[in-house]
Amino acid sequence: MSNYPAFLIIAPLFAACLTATAGWIRRSLSFPLAVSGLTVSFLSSLGIAARVLASGKFQYSMGGWAPPLGIVLELDYLNTPFLVVVSGAALVSLIATRQFVEKEQEAKAPAFYALMVLAVTGMLGMVATGDAFNLYVLLEISSITGYALVASGDRLAPLASLRYLLLGTIGASFYLLGVGLLYMLTGTLNMADLSRLLPPLYGSNAVLAAFLLILCGIWLKAALFPLHAWLPGAYSHSSHASACLLAPLMTKVMIYVMLRVMLSVFTPAYIFDHLSLEGFVVTLASVAVAAGSVMALAQRNLRRMAVYIVIAEVGYMVGGAWLGNQTGITGAVLHALNDVLMTLCLFLAIAAVAGRTETLDFKDLNGLFGKMPFTMGALVLGAMSIIGVPPACGFFSKWFLLQGAIEAGRFDFMAALLFSSLINVVLFFRVFEYALYSDGHMHKQEEHGQTGIQEAPLSLVISLWVAVAGILAVGFCSGPIVRMFIQPALL
Amino acid sequence: MLIHAALEFPVWGDPNAPAHLHVAPEYLERAYEETATPNVVTAILADYRGYDTMFETAVIFSAGLACFFLLRTRSRKDPGDRFFRHLATDMVIRIQNPSMKIPDTPYLQPMDSFWTPRSTIVRAASRVLAPFIQLYALYVVAHGHYSPGGGFQGGVILGASFILIALSHDLRTCMRQTPEKLIGVLSPAGVLFYAGVGILCVLAGGNFLDYGALAGWFGMAREAARSLGILLVEMGVAACVMATMVIIYANLSSAGGHRQGL
Repeated sequence: MSNYPAFLIIAPLFAACLTATAGWIRRSLSFPLAVSGLTVSFLSSLGIAARVLASGKFQYSMGGWAPPLGIVLELDYLNTPFLVVVSGAALVSLIATRQFVEKEQEAKAPAFYALMVLAVTGMLGMVATGDAFNLYVLLEISSITGYALVASGDRLAPLASLRYLLLGTIGASFYLLGVGLLYMLTGTLNMADLSRLLPPLYGSNAVLAAFLLILCGIWLKAALFPLHAWLPGAYSHSSHASACLLAPLMTKVMIYVMLRVMLSVFTPAYIFDHLSLEGFVVTLASVAVAAGSVMALAQRNLRRMAVYIVIAEVGYMVGGAWLGNQTGITGAVLHALNDVLMTLCLFLAIAAVAGRTETLDFKDLNGLFGKMPFTMGALVLGAMSIIGVPPACGFFSKWFLLQGAIEAGRFDFMAALLFSSLINVVLFFRVFEYALYSDGHMHKQEEHGQTGIQEAPLSLVISLWVAVAGILAVGFCSGPIVRMFIQPALL
Repeated sequence: MLIHAALEFPVWGDPNAPAHLHVAPEYLERAYEETATPNVVTAILADYRGYDTMFETAVIFSAGLACFFLLRTRSRKDPGDRFFRHLATDMVIRIQNPSMKIPDTPYLQPMDSFWTPRSTIVRAASRVLAPFIQLYALYVVAHGHYSPGGGFQGGVILGASFILIALSHDLRTCMRQTPEKLIGVLSPAGVLFYAGVGILCVLAGGNFLDYGALAGWFGMAREAARSLGILLVEMGVAACVMATMVIIYANLSSAGGHRQGL
């Protein structure tokens, strides 16, 4: 079957609609339908990866129309690893968070599953597409579903969602405006076609305006530091199911979009030779890394701490992409892939812990190692990866980023990376310290006979360890991934 | 900065602007030959860029779904006073005792507030208008090939006819005619129908949404099959848009309670 590239995106779309329909007719079918949609999507992403490895990049034209008349899926070395990781992580988090959804949403669970699968559809579509406007449409899908998912949570979630909606809509509109300018200047929306038509116009201020608008829009959606205001609320007040799905994927997909725009629409030649923004952007990224880490340090709640770590990580990737050398961009791509897995592991562990403690404040974490050994074991490995301890995957991408920073002579970025790693050590070991020791509160519970192991539900623990296995596997395969996918993508 | 950039924009209305020279002329020249659809806008929307339009429909579906998900509530938190309109006399009865049972008779209409004006003229006029609006909507859907129109516009008009009933009578009347389950199923079904047409094309041996591939099955020319494919997906769009409009209106106007509405 030569149509599996289409099913990568169509299967989850179909599954989302069927899930919503099943909600009205036979509720028990809705979850299996959602899972099967994402499974098909994951399998087809593996098929695409195999084909790209075997015979290089290829296109799939929707409706049989050749570009630039029609819309094509552009499947190449850059986006195949993203497709595999995004669809895999989405599948894991959908399966892992089932209990939360069933418990919190009750009768509306099918709608929640449908929204989750639709959000993933949008993200996969954004990663696969080769059309600048199509990307906007899919961005809209994953945003609208994202707002709805974020709005279900604690008392403050609707407010956080409103803020996310306002800022997210501004970001998406900026992107759309930029694409509109590009269409006006070139008459095409296809990315490959744009990069062919743009070079004669590189001197134009209108192209510069389009580039900056697109960039700001993407940064707003990716929550780069000064534009991050929506993220802490959105991912700390929403329900655990939505945070586990959105936090690992949304910002990383936007980083991919930034890389795609930088590499395939505008060229590095334009960005680094014509404009000289890289100095400013790398400084901004260094500030983002440092600020994210410091804000994480200020938190007394596990989940809010994780949220600020996400903000710091966005700074890593933006900085790496703008270092202007191949090592830096390699590091950014690899780190985006790793960060999906690390954030997934972190948020799944947090969700597991939340099911067994009153709040996620540090003081309530006492004695968790005894209570939930498997969950905390996974959290330790995830934390090692975020800190950057080999052989977890976080080490390798950080290594590339550091090397890139040294090659580019950006010692401020290097210092920010090292500073953030040190802060991460402090952050996680503080959590472990709380979790390792028990206090009087714990003894009181022991008297009530509630001691012993109280693990999270089995599906959640297994999913958590799948994420950990992913972290280790990607760590061990970092070399092949860089050699087989990232380096050919950057040639 | 934008104003500075605007100095380098192509002149307003300039026929030689790049936007008019690259893909646009190709669409204009080839659309009729390739899709047998005189309205080029429809051809681009539903065929050349049909993949985008499928996701636009999905956007509408997800907006409706989000609205349903966030607003729909099953039970009223505080029943408080209950109001009933006695239809024969147009008097409103207020019941303060929450445990008192009210017989389910056709003479008593449940209401949510003490008094809402009831205009016989408006109600009668809307009742007469609604079928014509619906007929016109179907015309707009089907005639998208030749004139401005198509699934989105037709769907909106179709949805508006139901909302008119909801406004002139009340939401309960509207939801009796179009039960929540029906519109809840119809909204994803529209997207499913659109994507299903695309999958039919795959089964017929073409790429996804390549309506030309359906030619063999229906025994018609490729162009005619494309034209048919456009009509089919427009129907899917119309169903989704119509149902989503009613979902959004019903949930917004009654804060998710699906009672009287505005």
